Amino acid sequence: MNIHCDDRERIFLEGSPEEWAALEQHAGTCPVCAEELRAWKQLSTAAEEMRDYQESPTLWAGIESSLRQQQAAPPRKSLWTSLDFWRHILPAWQSAFVGAIVVALAISSSYLYTHRAVPPMDPGNKLLKTTALAEVERTEREYMSAIDKLAADASPQLATDTPLMASYREKLLVLDSAIADLRVQAGENPSNAHLRYQLLAMYQEKQQTLQDVLETKR
Amino acid sequence: MGSVGLTLPWEHKLSSVARDGERRVEPFEGKTEPVRTSEELSQDAVVAAACLSGNLQGYERLYQWQGTRMKNLARNLLGSQADAEDAVQETFLKIQRSISGFRGQSSFVTWTFRILVNTCHDLRRSRVRRKDKVNQDVDALPPRMELRAPGAHPSLRMALERALGRLTAHQRDVFLLYEVEGFRHAEIAGMLEISETASKNTLFQAKKNLRTMLEPPRSSATGGAQ
Repeated sequence: MNIHCDDRERIFLEGSPEEWAALEQHAGTCPVCAEELRAWKQLSTAAEEMRDYQESPTLWAGIESSLRQQQAAPPRKSLWTSLDFWRHILPAWQSAFVGAIVVALAISSSYLYTHRAVPPMDPGNKLLKTTALAEVERTEREYMSAIDKLAADASPQLATDTPLMASYREKLLVLDSAIADLRVQAGENPSNAHLRYQLLAMYQEKQQTLQDVLETKR
Repeated sequence: MGSVGLTLPWEHKLSSVARDGERRVEPFEGKTEPVRTSEELSQDAVVAAACLSGNLQGYERLYQWQGTRMKNLARNLLGSQADAEDAVQETFLKIQRSISGFRGQSSFVTWTFRILVNTCHDLRRSRVRRKDKVNQDVDALPPRMELRAPGAHPSLRMALERALGRLTAHQRDVFLLYEVEGFRHAEIAGMLEISETASKNTLFQAKKNLRTMLEPPRSSATGGAQ
């Protein structure tokens, strides 16, 4: 095999054993490659110096004790994991259940919208003032952007084809739908603080759900 | 002595005698990446099954098999023995909490080390946060290495430790997993959730950077390049 100095870095990156052998041979006549090759090898030798596989006499005892305590303690269940039965429900029933939630959210949202309190005299009480509104909208944009980043982090995990992730995906769909409804209403009535609180609650639920998804990854 | 600052004492003649159980993997030594034997693969499955059954002996087997390696990686990532032991303990607790979620898509060891690496990063972030350094990019902060028992080439190791502290966290992770712990690129890809090619490229970049950092000054390098 004919090797030139130009091939050196490519071989360092992903050379086959034959190419490495050829590079060794080439280094026999090329001082520059010989030096580079030697320095490259030295890094691996130096890395071996960072291997210290000594036992810690008390470490396992501590781990074992913690594992026993955790095993004996009642499992900590989050709201969503406590809905474990969800995984065992037929997909058709899951869809029906999700549909019912969407309808319930739509009805409650429209009820809240039509029965919203509109204080006529004290706009500072329930309605947001212009400066406060701008502040709320700016914060909301930042919060949405942060949640979008969280969603991007969670998306590989969400894409996995497991029943648990399918449940999370459905829950997120419901939340996104509710958020979209509320945003439309908030857009029509931007000064209504009540709608903003509802929207915030939905965002928080979405954030929590995404965090739960990321937690399962660990 | 021709070494200055971070310069590796390149002129040292180094022994490349491998210790028991070590699998150094450079092709230039006539070897390819370490291949997992069927014995290792079956041990992986046995330990995973034992842990899945909830039997603490399964965790003990995992510890006996990989405990010192886990502690070594944690120590190199965190810089202190005490932090490393905390990280290993926390990793075992996380494994126990989430073992039901292990689907066997990667090997059990890969899954374990993925949890360990994430735990080390979380631990570093929380320790740095506690020190009110919130404005800094904590992943970019190098681990502060504490003293440890001297090996055959303590100055070489110290120079490398300091240089590793100047790599990005990602490059440091890949270098330690590949060069120190002897994992394959496919395994590292599974642990860090990157592609195998990305793992190779990151290692290459890490070694290039280390090479530059540890290169002896040209003026004093005359004796070191033979």
